[in-house]
Amino acid sequence: MFKKILFATSATPVCDHAARVAFDMAQRYDSHISVFHVMGIPTRGYSQVVLDVKTGEKVDLDDDYMDWVKEEVKTYYSKQIEKVKKYDIDTVVGIPYREILRAIRKLKPDLVIMGGSTGDEEESVYKKGIAGSTLQKVAKSSNCPMLVVNRPAASFWGGLSKVVFGTDFSKASDAAFNFALKLVKALDCELHIFHALDISSIHLGRALTQDEIESKIRESLRQIRGKYINKIKDSSSCSFDVWEGIPYVEIVKYAREKYADLIVMAHHTRKMDPEDTRLGSNIEQVIVRAGCPVISINK
Amino acid sequence: MPEGTLCNKKPIDTEEDLKTLLQDTGGKTYYEEMKVLDVNSDLLWNTIKNTCKSRMKTWLEICAHCGMCANSCFLYLINDCDPKQVPAYKIQSTLGEIIKKKGKVDNDFMHMAMETAWAKCTCCNRCGMYCPHGIDMGIMFGYLRGLLYAQGFVPWELKIGAGMHRVYRAQMDVTDTDFTETFEWMVEEYEEDYPGLTVPIDKEGADIMYTVNAREVKHYPEDLAEAAILFHLAGENWTVPSSGWEQTSLSMFAGDWPACKMQVEHVYAAMERLKPKRMVGTECGHAHRATVIEGPYWAGRKDGKPPVESIHYVEWIAEALKTGKLKIDPAKRIKQPVTLQDSCNYIRNHGLKTATREIISYIVEPGYFVEMTPNKEHNYCCGGGGGFNGIGIFRSQRNKALITKRDQLLDTGAELVIAPCHNCWDAIRDLEEEYKIGIKWSFLKPLLISMVQVPEHLQPKE
Repeated sequence: MFKKILFATSATPVCDHAARVAFDMAQRYDSHISVFHVMGIPTRGYSQVVLDVKTGEKVDLDDDYMDWVKEEVKTYYSKQIEKVKKYDIDTVVGIPYREILRAIRKLKPDLVIMGGSTGDEEESVYKKGIAGSTLQKVAKSSNCPMLVVNRPAASFWGGLSKVVFGTDFSKASDAAFNFALKLVKALDCELHIFHALDISSIHLGRALTQDEIESKIRESLRQIRGKYINKIKDSSSCSFDVWEGIPYVEIVKYAREKYADLIVMAHHTRKMDPEDTRLGSNIEQVIVRAGCPVISINK
Repeated sequence: MPEGTLCNKKPIDTEEDLKTLLQDTGGKTYYEEMKVLDVNSDLLWNTIKNTCKSRMKTWLEICAHCGMCANSCFLYLINDCDPKQVPAYKIQSTLGEIIKKKGKVDNDFMHMAMETAWAKCTCCNRCGMYCPHGIDMGIMFGYLRGLLYAQGFVPWELKIGAGMHRVYRAQMDVTDTDFTETFEWMVEEYEEDYPGLTVPIDKEGADIMYTVNAREVKHYPEDLAEAAILFHLAGENWTVPSSGWEQTSLSMFAGDWPACKMQVEHVYAAMERLKPKRMVGTECGHAHRATVIEGPYWAGRKDGKPPVESIHYVEWIAEALKTGKLKIDPAKRIKQPVTLQDSCNYIRNHGLKTATREIISYIVEPGYFVEMTPNKEHNYCCGGGGGFNGIGIFRSQRNKALITKRDQLLDTGAELVIAPCHNCWDAIRDLEEEYKIGIKWSFLKPLLISMVQVPEHLQPKE
């Protein structure tokens, strides 16, 4: 299931939680883990000067410096590297999200693992020349499932046994379901299918009556049965629910109640407005809030 | 005749030499070697005898030393009106002296000439507009750079840049395969949002052959996707050549004349192979100058024109908006104070000021556009033109040069500056990094994508 894992990291403490999960998974599933670090952002037109993302300093790039950074990354993860059998480390120069996407295209991993936010947006060197965060842009364009570990709580991970699949019944959600199904089969986990009925914004200015809510819930349950349950051969280790509320809050609550160790959701925000990419969609809010890793599926 | 192993009169022609030079971090050894590099006076004088024609000779001769050019030069103004920054002085004390001395100049002189040619002139050609005799110091500095390059006195990055063109026919180590694969990748990434989006490679007889800047392929491939999307939405019959796609020329900045010729002939060969009706180049200033304005002469084309009609991206956009091929959603027009950077290379030097302003009239809500002062053909260089942006040893001079643009921008009160030129875009980014004035900068493509109407038959179905 996870033969090849691409762990894209800033090699700083913000990625420590993701690192724990990444190396743990690689060890558990005997995966090859590629540690990928975009070390510098090109600057100065055609010159050889790059902005080192860790130090924030401008450096003249040469092979020595590249090797040194690679060694630094290796040292940073030295203890974790000892535990995995197959690994490689690559450091490149470029705009981080673009280079991660380039690596995904080249390596064709089964899973990409990333940390959450690199911290203070204004100060972050990742902001240079591009709008929005690396994570969002990778999530939008990646054709490979992407696992994000944002909160420390999410990284205390003991392998997979309970997976929550959150759906909005879209086409992208179908792809996410197929992935979730494959995953629970391969790893023998429970699957909990969940839909949240959005009562926050869609009915502007009018509160839904309880009858309306309940009727919509029944309709969604029918949709879950029709769309998903039929495809599951052995439905004994499977449950499904529909709750009303603010979707991302409900999903996080649901995952907590089910003691989930993974949430799978679709990412299908079309044409992000570069001015307004700051954690707008439900999945992004789930990533920020969930107490377990979140896998985002695009295609 | 001491010649360095890295700093010498030999151009970079192999990948191996290129890599060796690149490994000399910051050009440390290169510049050390330059300190003892001999000047080949015979070569210098012979080159001048063969290439310095009547126009240049007349210009040097008729300069009345009136000083009218002084205030036209932003580098003179920003350097506290230092007399050594007067354009006439700068060229007379370098090219003028070399000719007077029949090429018998020494290493120190060449170092001074190198700094003058690359750190005291961006070849913006503004002085030429203000000279009562029409003497264009920018042109002469371009010529001087050629003389210096042939003697090995050229900034490290530009020796590399010219070498890139010689080895890869691109300003960066981007191969033809890298180019086509990256373009295809970008189309894949966006085809769901724009059904039917493709990149037609090597299509013969298309209406448009599109050429780019290798940096887009290397670092900002969205730019390729955006170009494809806009051609797609405009319903254009377009193509890109699998070879001959690089429009820029760092060899022009370096003064490597043979490389300039090689590069531009490579693009012209693509035009001749694919026979498009027109070529459209990306949002780059010097690329346009190299391929469309100066290139024909490098290639020895008698009519002074590229093999097919070649226009700048802003001309294509202006036309697409005017003819209604691209339609802007009025609700999405820019509604914040916005200004426009006039790129010297195609505004002053190719008269495209109307095209950019036509575009503005479509994409900016009336009342929000503020002109810089001065503007259009009188606008100042961004501060990083002519290769200035990328030269490490002249960084402090470049950063000072950015102050002119910084103050021009501040005076407009704009929050956004549209910069349809890679060099200007870079300079403004660096300016923001250096002086933090809170300005945003953008090419036209992403702005257009955010406001263009997608015809119904091209909208994604779900």
